[in-house]
Amino acid sequence: MKRFLALMSALALTAALAACSSGDGEGSGLLIYSGRSQEFIEPFFAAFTEETGIQIEVRYGDSAALAAQILEEGGNSPADLFLSQDAGALGAVSGANLLAALDPALLGRVAGTYRSPLGDWVAVTGRVRVFAYAPDRVASLPDSVDDLIDPIWKGRIAIAPTNSSFQAFVTAMIQTRGERATENWLNGIKANKPKLYEKNSLIVQAIDAGQVDAGLVNHYYTWEVEEELGREINVKNAFFSPGDLGNLVNVSGVGILSTSTDQDLASQLVDFLLSEEEQKQFVSETHEYSIVLPGLRPDGLPALEEIAAPRVNLAALSDLQRTQNLLIKVGLL
Amino acid sequence: MAIINPLSAKKVKGGTVENPPSPLLIFAGLVTLSLAALPIAYLVRRATQIDAQSLSIVLFRAKTLEIIFTTLSLALFVALFATALGVGIAWMLNNVALPFLGLIRALVVLPVAIPSYVFTYSWLSLGFLPSGFIAAVVVLTLSTAPYVTLAALAAFKRIDTSQLDVAQTLGLNQFGTFLRVTLPQIRNAVGAGSLIVALYVLSDFGAVSLLGVDTFTRAIQNTYQGSFDRGSAAILALFLVAISSTVISLEIKSRESTVTVKSSVQITKRLPYNNSIRVKLVAAIAIIAYLALALVAPLSVLLYRFFSRVSPLDVTELVNAAFSTITVSILGALIAMLLAIPVAFLAVRGTWIGVWSERAVLLVHALPGIVMGLALVSFGSEFPVIYQTIGLLAFAYSILFLARSVGSIRAAFGKVPLSLTEIAATLGQTRSRTFYRVTLPLAAPGVLTGTLLVFLSAMKELPATLMLRPTGFETLATEIWNNTAIFRFSEAAPYALLLVAIAAIPTFLISRPDRESERGELQ
Repeated sequence: MKRFLALMSALALTAALAACSSGDGEGSGLLIYSGRSQEFIEPFFAAFTEETGIQIEVRYGDSAALAAQILEEGGNSPADLFLSQDAGALGAVSGANLLAALDPALLGRVAGTYRSPLGDWVAVTGRVRVFAYAPDRVASLPDSVDDLIDPIWKGRIAIAPTNSSFQAFVTAMIQTRGERATENWLNGIKANKPKLYEKNSLIVQAIDAGQVDAGLVNHYYTWEVEEELGREINVKNAFFSPGDLGNLVNVSGVGILSTSTDQDLASQLVDFLLSEEEQKQFVSETHEYSIVLPGLRPDGLPALEEIAAPRVNLAALSDLQRTQNLLIKVGLL
Repeated sequence: MAIINPLSAKKVKGGTVENPPSPLLIFAGLVTLSLAALPIAYLVRRATQIDAQSLSIVLFRAKTLEIIFTTLSLALFVALFATALGVGIAWMLNNVALPFLGLIRALVVLPVAIPSYVFTYSWLSLGFLPSGFIAAVVVLTLSTAPYVTLAALAAFKRIDTSQLDVAQTLGLNQFGTFLRVTLPQIRNAVGAGSLIVALYVLSDFGAVSLLGVDTFTRAIQNTYQGSFDRGSAAILALFLVAISSTVISLEIKSRESTVTVKSSVQITKRLPYNNSIRVKLVAAIAIIAYLALALVAPLSVLLYRFFSRVSPLDVTELVNAAFSTITVSILGALIAMLLAIPVAFLAVRGTWIGVWSERAVLLVHALPGIVMGLALVSFGSEFPVIYQTIGLLAFAYSILFLARSVGSIRAAFGKVPLSLTEIAATLGQTRSRTFYRVTLPLAAPGVLTGTLLVFLSAMKELPATLMLRPTGFETLATEIWNNTAIFRFSEAAPYALLLVAIAAIPTFLISRPDRESERGELQ
């Protein structure tokens, strides 16, 4: 028995050591922490490696969890780049001074609202909040998010209050209208007994399944759900009137870690993601908006200028504490 | 002769003159204790970095009170219902002559193999489960009852049947006998199972997030997600630690206050099965109903999803993920076994290191995976050689699930008759030789069960896996996540089904009839 235990210890130890030594990722490649899912982003990395010969390793995770991980790693982070689903997670890493300043030429490719005020991250794609609805059950579309507190929407609307995309929208409302007005709006929505979901995709699915008539989601989920189900769905995207808060544009973006030992290679990747060719790919493959080429837009949707997104400081979307407290106070979280 | 009350450390300690544990054991116990303290130390460090204003917001908002209430009541209700359900099922398996008993025994334990996010998602997509507290109680009760079933099955086998005969001779009916004789004898073992259920509920994220129930684990996750405020999250996690230690102390108290009187002669012979048609029918219906809700429902959703996939099956990825899952989970289970043996041995002897290590191990068990992940990120990123390696991931598993293995191993050590170790000592065996040649072999089935339980839990783990795995290393759980994160539920189905299929193997081994009494007890 003693020998058995000793054997087991030896086995566990050697296995652990072997496992440790195999895990070293130093070399001439880049290590990316990606909050964007493998399915959608991997082809872009593959194209980059093919074009430049630079090897890439990618660690996939949830954007917020990866941001927390980078904050925890601090100066020891092995990552070269952080690619995030939303501006908030980038803002948090930038706030801890863990991102390097980007080449001004790269920053200059996008409009001022779509990059870090500190110049340490830049948007890659745009994602617009929309009013998703079932065309056969919704006859007249709302002009503004404020119309949604009308009792005619009672029990018909779905939202995802725990989801960062919805919270970013509420944060934007607090930024522009103040806390009091936002609280009133949230109370109005709550009085209409909205159905609550964990994810945007579940809302779109619920609309298609007839459980709810409409919902507040990001624009690209109709495609995602159609691809998952392998059929057309009974859900359409609508925008509110130009300039309405409901049309908030959030972004996915990228930053280079200040601890990266391959800043030049990392810069090349950012340059690649912002290139005309790849931006076109994003629009056609992931159905997002191009931030670099404003005319490019997903099939059947209006261009960004027509939507006239409300002016919001995207970098400030990382502080959702006040938003969460408000949602808690109103009873939606 | 079997020892009836293996969990009562005091009795064993006070019973006979014992040698103090060897220095090697004490050292090993201390190592485990300090490793288990690692995540707690991390939380304290982060919590002390918080500024006063954020602290007061976290502490004094009304929501925190509500979260405490929700968390406690969820843990309480699930533990109660799962205990009732688990004991009921175990009683039926033990006392009713059902057909296919061996198969049923394995099947009723299998629901633990389904990750709670998969389980909940399947139930939600059936369409008739409402969101909220009650749904969470239902889902978590169904998926955790097997932990109690396992504990109760083992306990039923050790029951002193001579006392049952006496009770019935004295005119107690069957139910009265169960309440007054059987229950006190299985109470400690079942209590340990209920504790595992309560701690599982405290640390669960999958079910509560999908059903929208505000427990501490969900609040912690939301705090990281919403404000990236690690200080506030740590404060919330420490709240959770406080709640878990209360729950743990309650269980230990009830354990200590239980007094079972042993007869001079103990008989643990098999009782004859109840053969009445009515009892058999009721039992069969109850078990079929449980299996339908806890196993058939989620599995049929997965199968439906599997067959409605749009994209073709990637067999290579599937096999790779399965291989990775098995490798790292086995490694984690082996580490847990090595760490658990000294703790269990010291705990059964009632030494303070043993008792405190056991508590620390239980506390860590109730921590959300994201906290464990971040603690080891914080610690591991200082050492690039181990950071994001299979070794560190396996280590994380071993610490997170150590409670499972300590629990079984401790029970197994408790059953080793003292008389045998005393005989060994009389025969001139040294303490360590006695331990290796008498105690450990007799406890081997319990050690195996504990190790398999860690393996089973490690296979399903997600949040710590995402942070600590080597870059590019995919397990079945991460593949499920890869797909569900982008709403590809059908593409996730093959991985979930394979996970359940692989988990069925240790489940079957654990639930095998007479596993416990095979060698663990001398009659």
